[in-house]
Amino acid sequence: MAEPPEPPEPPESAEPSAAEPASPAAGSPSAEASAIGVDDPPAPKGSASGPPAAEPLEPLDPRAGERVERGAALCFLVSMLAALGLAVTYWQGGNTQVEGVLLAVVTGGIGVGIILWAKHFMPGEEVAEDREDLASTEAEVAAFTADLEAGGSSLRSRRLLLASATGALAAFGGALLFPIRSLGPRAGRGLKGTAFADGVRLVREDGEPLKPSDLAPGGVVTVWPDGHVGAADAPTLLIRTHRDQPFRPRPGRERWTVHGIVAYSKLCTHVGCPVGLYQAEKGLLLCPCHQSTFDVLDGARPVFGPAARSLPQLPLGLDDDGYIVATADFSDPVGPGFWDRGR
Amino acid sequence: MLSRRVARWIDDRLGTAQFARTVLNKVFPDHWSFMIGELALYCFVILLLTGVYLTFFFDPSANETVYRGSYEALQGVEMTEAYRSALELSFDVRAGLVMRQMHHWAALLFLAAIVVHLGRVFFTGAFRRPREINWMIGVTLLILAMFNGFAGYSLLDDQLSGTGLRIAYSITLSIPLVGTWIASLLFGGEFPGPDIIERLYVIHILLIPAAITVLLTAHLAILVRQKHTQFPGPGRTEDNVVGTRMWPTYAAKALGLFFLVTAVVAFLGGVFQINPIWIYGPFDPAEVSAASQPDWYMGWLDGALRIMPGWEVRAFGFEIPNPFFPGVLLAGLTFTALYAWPFLEARVTGDDAVHHLVDRPRQRPVRTALGVACLAFYLVCFLGGASDVLAQTFGLSVNAVLWTFRFAVILLPIVSGWFTYRLCKELSARDGVPTASRVTWREIPARLRHGTARRSTPADAEA
Amino acid sequence: MAGRLPLRALAVAAPVVVAVGATLLGAGGGRAVAQSEEPSEAELVETGRELYATGCSSCHGDEGEGIEIVDGQAGGPSLENAGEAGAYYYLTTGRMPLANPGDQPRRKDPAYSPEQIDALVAYVASLGDGPELPDVDVDGADLAAGGVVFRANCQACHSASGSGGALSYGDAAPRLAESTPAQVGAAVRIGPGEMPVFGPDTITEEQLDALAGYVRYLQDPEDPGGLPIGRTGPIPEGFVAWLIGMGAMVGFVYWIGTRNPVERPVVEGEEDRG
Repeated sequence: MAEPPEPPEPPESAEPSAAEPASPAAGSPSAEASAIGVDDPPAPKGSASGPPAAEPLEPLDPRAGERVERGAALCFLVSMLAALGLAVTYWQGGNTQVEGVLLAVVTGGIGVGIILWAKHFMPGEEVAEDREDLASTEAEVAAFTADLEAGGSSLRSRRLLLASATGALAAFGGALLFPIRSLGPRAGRGLKGTAFADGVRLVREDGEPLKPSDLAPGGVVTVWPDGHVGAADAPTLLIRTHRDQPFRPRPGRERWTVHGIVAYSKLCTHVGCPVGLYQAEKGLLLCPCHQSTFDVLDGARPVFGPAARSLPQLPLGLDDDGYIVATADFSDPVGPGFWDRGR
Repeated sequence: MLSRRVARWIDDRLGTAQFARTVLNKVFPDHWSFMIGELALYCFVILLLTGVYLTFFFDPSANETVYRGSYEALQGVEMTEAYRSALELSFDVRAGLVMRQMHHWAALLFLAAIVVHLGRVFFTGAFRRPREINWMIGVTLLILAMFNGFAGYSLLDDQLSGTGLRIAYSITLSIPLVGTWIASLLFGGEFPGPDIIERLYVIHILLIPAAITVLLTAHLAILVRQKHTQFPGPGRTEDNVVGTRMWPTYAAKALGLFFLVTAVVAFLGGVFQINPIWIYGPFDPAEVSAASQPDWYMGWLDGALRIMPGWEVRAFGFEIPNPFFPGVLLAGLTFTALYAWPFLEARVTGDDAVHHLVDRPRQRPVRTALGVACLAFYLVCFLGGASDVLAQTFGLSVNAVLWTFRFAVILLPIVSGWFTYRLCKELSARDGVPTASRVTWREIPARLRHGTARRSTPADAEA
Repeated sequence: MAGRLPLRALAVAAPVVVAVGATLLGAGGGRAVAQSEEPSEAELVETGRELYATGCSSCHGDEGEGIEIVDGQAGGPSLENAGEAGAYYYLTTGRMPLANPGDQPRRKDPAYSPEQIDALVAYVASLGDGPELPDVDVDGADLAAGGVVFRANCQACHSASGSGGALSYGDAAPRLAESTPAQVGAAVRIGPGEMPVFGPDTITEEQLDALAGYVRYLQDPEDPGGLPIGRTGPIPEGFVAWLIGMGAMVGFVYWIGTRNPVERPVVEGEEDRG
């Protein structure tokens, strides 16, 4: 076997010329060439007709042909063995890598074998097939439209029936649309508020409320309204800025922070990804989805990226036990924008 | 002979012998680039086969459960049944992981083959009369395939897929007037919605595969009816098809190609780990990982979302949110333009003749240049979807990378389009064949408005 | 004790010798220490002060009070609250000392020997009341619990696979491939650079053990699916799909489409074709 049949992993054998063993041998004209040349291709019948379109194919050198045949047969044999291996692998408990590679060998062997067979031992001469006109004649189209119109005019002659039947079908179609309404609740107000309200404690994922001292300067923790841990619309970032960072509260929000702790909605105002990256030294919140960047020290104003609105801020206070509570809901609807958000 | 008896038996009942013979002798042009669509077809077959296997084990349920499978690093973690069953499929079902990975790789390759096929058809002008219908079916197949791919990887309810769903929800929400309603009806309420996984499951395994199967059948039936296009060459005319007969050579090659595609998918599925959901963890709406990207075919949309500057429209308390423009408008424009292209081109060139001989791209400088410019635009969008990973990999600033893309998304299409136009002209001149384009850039708007009085003949178009 | 004498003499004689020289000599000193019994806390602090004076004081000030950065002049932050954890983190990950004070600290081989680092850590700890180095024990850590903490607090910057990620304006969260459990613990407590601080009230000692265990797991996780190609998802997957998958498939198609010498059509079907 001079030629490599087909390496077990097909993707590596993608190079066409490398995988084609016979071409160099047969590329040079040999003594037998004229004897087996395609000098008289069979004339195609049926819809295919006409002379061979391209230059005649090179004849296959018999010795090269034998090699190709053996190579193809070997591919099938390797495929069979790999199939056996696949069964053994499965029976032995399975292994993803072995299964994948063996399956690739099984199918790759069959594929390469068939292609070699087709390329070298199946009729490969090019034939020309006539292309009849797709379009019908004017007369045929005219006849068709005439029939259509004739039937149609008989329908149109009963105007009352036509009108009422059309109305009934339209009403039926309309009635069919109503069940769509069952797919979801009324859209609207739920998007505009969260469970935060005056006096609601901010709790961590484990449900524990927080005191200001629980958060180190430069620290951040994700919190929810008490009783709504995990609520998809209410994750909130509680951030304690470093002592030397110049926090600039928005006008009217001077009393919304406690002990240097500020709370913003964790949902990006762009498409609602959790704004999880807190760059503590620069005081920036970055959304890992689309890189919207918010300035924590300046009311979470968007300073970069596609987000167009500040993160909504949650007014904070302390309850009688010293735990951090909200004093109202967020300053704005949280998360991504929608048509009537501002109404 | 047995075959004759069987043929006789069937023909007595259906009378198909003559038709079947025509099929056997059907001629297929032998150019390799005409087989790229077949790659997509075979990927789809593999998707169906592996997908059916996966449905036996996957449970599309949002019910909460606690993991007790064999993967240690998630022991006792709360998750949904969907995610748990995907883990079980990966770790505890024999041959489950290789099937899952083959399914995912086949999906990526399915879309890749469709896109390359679309490019081949576009750049050779194979969409022209009489093939406009098949072009539009093809575009529909592309949309369905993209959507089904997204639906598929969104089912597993891992952190990455949940993030993708959240973005899809927000884009839906951004549609003016009806967005909140559509989002609510689709998800069964506010995100994450109790029903979305079950609904996506039905869409993913039933509705869209059925639609793809029907349209694919139509795509192929029309192709058989209209016969293939072919490149010009000796003996090749508008009135014939030159190639190999269906039986046995082309059938064998097609079958062999199917096995080879399966081999590629099996190799990838066994050797390259894809979508390691056990690393991503169960979805939690308050969490996200750095470098969250969609699968490649959605990358251009994700990149467009990033590249879009932070603008939105607000008036009288109503607003058109920022993601509407890249997420809905751009996608809508993209597919509308694809649907309309054969008709736009015919209107601009005034060439509505029947074409069975395809163009070499260089012969059509304007079309080729526009195509390259569009490819450049989507490529920049696509790379924009990886802006953070590019920044990290090359030690650059995310902001600088994104600003680069914001300029590149405008400049690169212009530059590459102009360069392609010059190149086509140059190459055609070297060939000694004048280009077929008799339209200059400047004329295009007027021709789009008024059409053109000149109706060219096939001979004109071939010139 | 004899082993440390040359160093002390050097520090007294030439207080402005560069850190490199100290490192070379210090390496010899460190070996000697390992042979003798453990130095006392006071001795450690004293050694650390000497190392500090030669290697660190030019930026952080003579007593760790920090030097204000004016017009790009050399300067550095105060170390009064860096604590044991801060000094340990920056020195063992090689992020300090910096060649140029303006550079972004990046992981490299430590400039000091472990014994010198012990001494410097002890000295910096003595400067103020910064966080102690947490005692991280990853043996028997609850991997799953660590994963939960990691995904809740760390993956947003360091990515779910621990491969790091880009931050805004040129900053980056490092990959965690080489982070030791002690370094993870120290980083969590001090929040180096842009990283936030996670105190014991945010991540408990027990959670920290689990977290460090999970980070260690992520450095060499199970890859049942085969080659991990980064474990970061769609981007490398897309590359593999296009380059290997599409490459192979288009290669096959090209191979099938090329014409080869063919045996003369077999005559069997000849009579049918006419």
